[in-house]
Amino acid sequence: MTASAPTVFIVDDDAPLCRALARLLREHGWPTAAYASAEDFLAQRDAQTPGCLVLDVSLPGLDGLALQRRLAQDGPALPIIFLTGHGDIPMSVQAVKAGALDFLTKPVSAESLLAAVRAGVAQDALARRSLSETVALRERFAGLTQREREVLAALAAGKLNKQIAGDMNVVEQTVKFHRARIMERMQAHTVAELMHMLARLELAQDNPPTATPRP
Amino acid sequence: MHARRRCVLAMLLIAALMQVGTLWAQSAPGRNVLVLFSNGRLLPANVEIDRGLAEGLSARPEMRAELSAEFLDAPRFAGAAYADTMATYLRKKYAAHAPEVIVVVGTEALDFVLSKRAQMFPTVPVIHQAVAVERLRSLVPLPADVIGVPVDLDFLGTATQALRWHPAARRIVVVTGSGEWDRDWQARVRQAAAKLDGNVSLEFLAGLPSEDLRKRLGALGSDSIVFTPGFFVDGDGRSVVPIESARFVAAVSAAPVYAPYPTFIGTGVVGGSMASFVDTGRLAAQIAIALLGGAAPASVELPQSMPNRVHLDWRQVQRWGISPETVPADAVVRHREPRFWEAYWHYLLIAGAVLLIQSGLIVALLLERRRRRRTAAALAQSEQRMSLAAHAARLSMWVWDLGLKQNWLRTPSRRSTDLRTDHFTDFNEVLSDVHPQDRESVDAAVKRALSSGEEIEVEYRTAGPDGEVRWMAARGRADQGNPQRLLGVTLDITPRKRAEAQAEQDRTALRHMTRVSLLGQLSASIAHQLNQPLASILSNAEAAQEMLKREPVDMPELREICSDIVAEDHRAADVIRHLGVLFKRGEPLFAPLDVNELVRDTLELTRTNLLTRQVAASLHLAPDLPLVDGDRVQLQQLLLNLIVNAADAMEATPMAERQLTISTALSGPQIQLCVADRGPGIPGSDLDHVFEPFWSTKGAGMGIGLAICRSIATAHRGSLTSSNAQEGGAIFCTLLPVRATP
Repeated sequence: MTASAPTVFIVDDDAPLCRALARLLREHGWPTAAYASAEDFLAQRDAQTPGCLVLDVSLPGLDGLALQRRLAQDGPALPIIFLTGHGDIPMSVQAVKAGALDFLTKPVSAESLLAAVRAGVAQDALARRSLSETVALRERFAGLTQREREVLAALAAGKLNKQIAGDMNVVEQTVKFHRARIMERMQAHTVAELMHMLARLELAQDNPPTATPRP
Repeated sequence: MHARRRCVLAMLLIAALMQVGTLWAQSAPGRNVLVLFSNGRLLPANVEIDRGLAEGLSARPEMRAELSAEFLDAPRFAGAAYADTMATYLRKKYAAHAPEVIVVVGTEALDFVLSKRAQMFPTVPVIHQAVAVERLRSLVPLPADVIGVPVDLDFLGTATQALRWHPAARRIVVVTGSGEWDRDWQARVRQAAAKLDGNVSLEFLAGLPSEDLRKRLGALGSDSIVFTPGFFVDGDGRSVVPIESARFVAAVSAAPVYAPYPTFIGTGVVGGSMASFVDTGRLAAQIAIALLGGAAPASVELPQSMPNRVHLDWRQVQRWGISPETVPADAVVRHREPRFWEAYWHYLLIAGAVLLIQSGLIVALLLERRRRRRTAAALAQSEQRMSLAAHAARLSMWVWDLGLKQNWLRTPSRRSTDLRTDHFTDFNEVLSDVHPQDRESVDAAVKRALSSGEEIEVEYRTAGPDGEVRWMAARGRADQGNPQRLLGVTLDITPRKRAEAQAEQDRTALRHMTRVSLLGQLSASIAHQLNQPLASILSNAEAAQEMLKREPVDMPELREICSDIVAEDHRAADVIRHLGVLFKRGEPLFAPLDVNELVRDTLELTRTNLLTRQVAASLHLAPDLPLVDGDRVQLQQLLLNLIVNAADAMEATPMAERQLTISTALSGPQIQLCVADRGPGIPGSDLDHVFEPFWSTKGAGMGIGLAICRSIATAHRGSLTSSNAQEGGAIFCTLLPVRATP
């Protein structure tokens, strides 16, 4: 999964600028991949490769903001650093609201670009790690039996073992057993930790990864 | 001179002599016509008869009749012895030159000839005249060769006429002498009076002494008229001429006096019915000529008596109050003062004609003078009007006469009270006022107008004395009557020229302003255009810096970076250069240019703008287009405007359909440049209005963009039109003429 090194994707219809940006980033140790249009990028990119996207706002065809929207639909968003020829405030606000990492005005200095790229790559790494944790949690959650999920839901609702046993028409001991199994299977050390895991799963359910079917 | 006059005199003299010679030659074998008068030769009646005879004979000169006159002088001389002596005398006198015709005048002469004829000229025919009718009757039958016309001493006719004129008269007083002749008259009167109206009585005053006669006649009233044949012996026993006795009677009579003889007319008698003695003479001459011509006396046709006509003395007619209307039409009126008109009618006619002609001339001259005055007044008025008009229009008028080598010039004066200032100048002087740069064209225009007769129309500059340059427009033509003359007017058009220049400046300023405003709309795009190379340069430079920190330096890469930096720098410079030209405010500069290149450069400026608006631009440029002559900045402005308009028109168009097409094509001698959009198009009713100034459908637009575009196209001798495409959207096309190949 994390076999590839973080890469900086550059999308700009201006070839010389594309070349110059790639050169600069390469000199600072970043692998780069340059595309002349949003369509090229969508067609050719490897979604598994971590990194960030340096994106020109004005593009022929699909423009920068449209590409941002498209990427957000597809899955965990690659952090996007927008480049613009002029400081268009409404556009930058729109971009940032849609999750843009940064909005840089051309000509952009190496310092600010590299800082943005570093932040982007870090964010991506974090996002990718968080995403892999959620996937693990989901897998653990998937390993729970139906009975254990019911007990977990009752726990999450703050019910006591005795209440749960009463509700489920079982003895309290059985509930304790289930609870220990749940803790074990979800690799949770405390109930609080279990609750945290459950919260992350709930959150992830709002925006479920395509790779994982909803339970 | 004198010689000529003498010569003429001599010729006249010779002519006169020849005339005399001719007369003498004729008279030599002249045929004698002997006239024998009863009475004395001075008797007026005899004189008149003689005159009539002479006239009648001279009317036929070929008869060569010659008149000889003899007088018996009765009644002063009488008796048998006297008759014998006279007969002998006449026979002897005319023995050598015997008469061929004898004319006897009066009873005594006829009696004498009849009795003594045998002793004198027995075979010579005799013509008797002035013998009273009743007397002749007593002598019949006369010998066959004695013929004549008796005189009718017409007392009856005279009395009848006199009574008609004097209706109050009841008495006719007959005044005679006491001799035999007088007794004959008394008898004649008595006999004739029998035929008169019975109310009229006769009274005879015969042989009264003059004093008695004076008393008797002087006492006569209006109931009387007097008749007298005159007498030879008065009551005192003195011998008188009848005419004198008639004069006496007329002088003393208180009543009108009538008489039987025309010779008495003028003595104071009124007149009477009588025969003219001259006519008597003429008739005798006619008979004599007939006889001389060989006619037999019996064959000559003669009237019964001498015709009588009323003879009148007009003065007496007036004296006795006789109405002129009652005077017979054939009356012989004497002593009538001819009326002025009758006396001088020809003078009057001439004078009248002269007067008429003179008056006509005067009238004509007066009319002519009036006409000329009117013409002069009209001319002056016309001149004044013309001057006023010229002054109001600030026109200078000029007439340049090539023949007289003179140029008349009237310039509007500065003061309005003085409408005219006339100058006579030389044409070269006029030409010297013309700006040196225009002198040649003015001279050429004048020469052309003179040679071809065409109108001259030329604009030129003049340098005034203060060095101020003024624009003048001269217009004129050659005089049709005199091709050596040019007439025309000159107008100072400096204000117009200044206004034109100002308008052009304003137009340029407006174009510049709209261009700048257009560029303002494109500022984002332009900033992008500039930012791209700058960003590129910066990144390349920083990359190079980073490279240089490490050893060994990747030289090929560094070189590539440097060449990229240089290229991008050029790119930035190009953008600035293009923009700079568009922002610049300057005079239009026409130069050959490639329309396709213009399209590409202009599109480059709007590229980012179109990108931002999601408008896709496509070019359909015809290859190898000829060049056009144009101002790059203006044409770029035109195209920019069309592109921005097209993009604006597609705001509401779905993004995928926002298509802008720019095409070029060769269309005959023109190049067509079209910009098409896929917007809603232009409503049909607005197609005509879109080029009007301040016509705008955009909330923010001023509406002068397209108006300026059209003015740019027009300035390039081209056009700009709008239409709607079938597949939707508007198309703006401009046609620019291909540059004429030099």
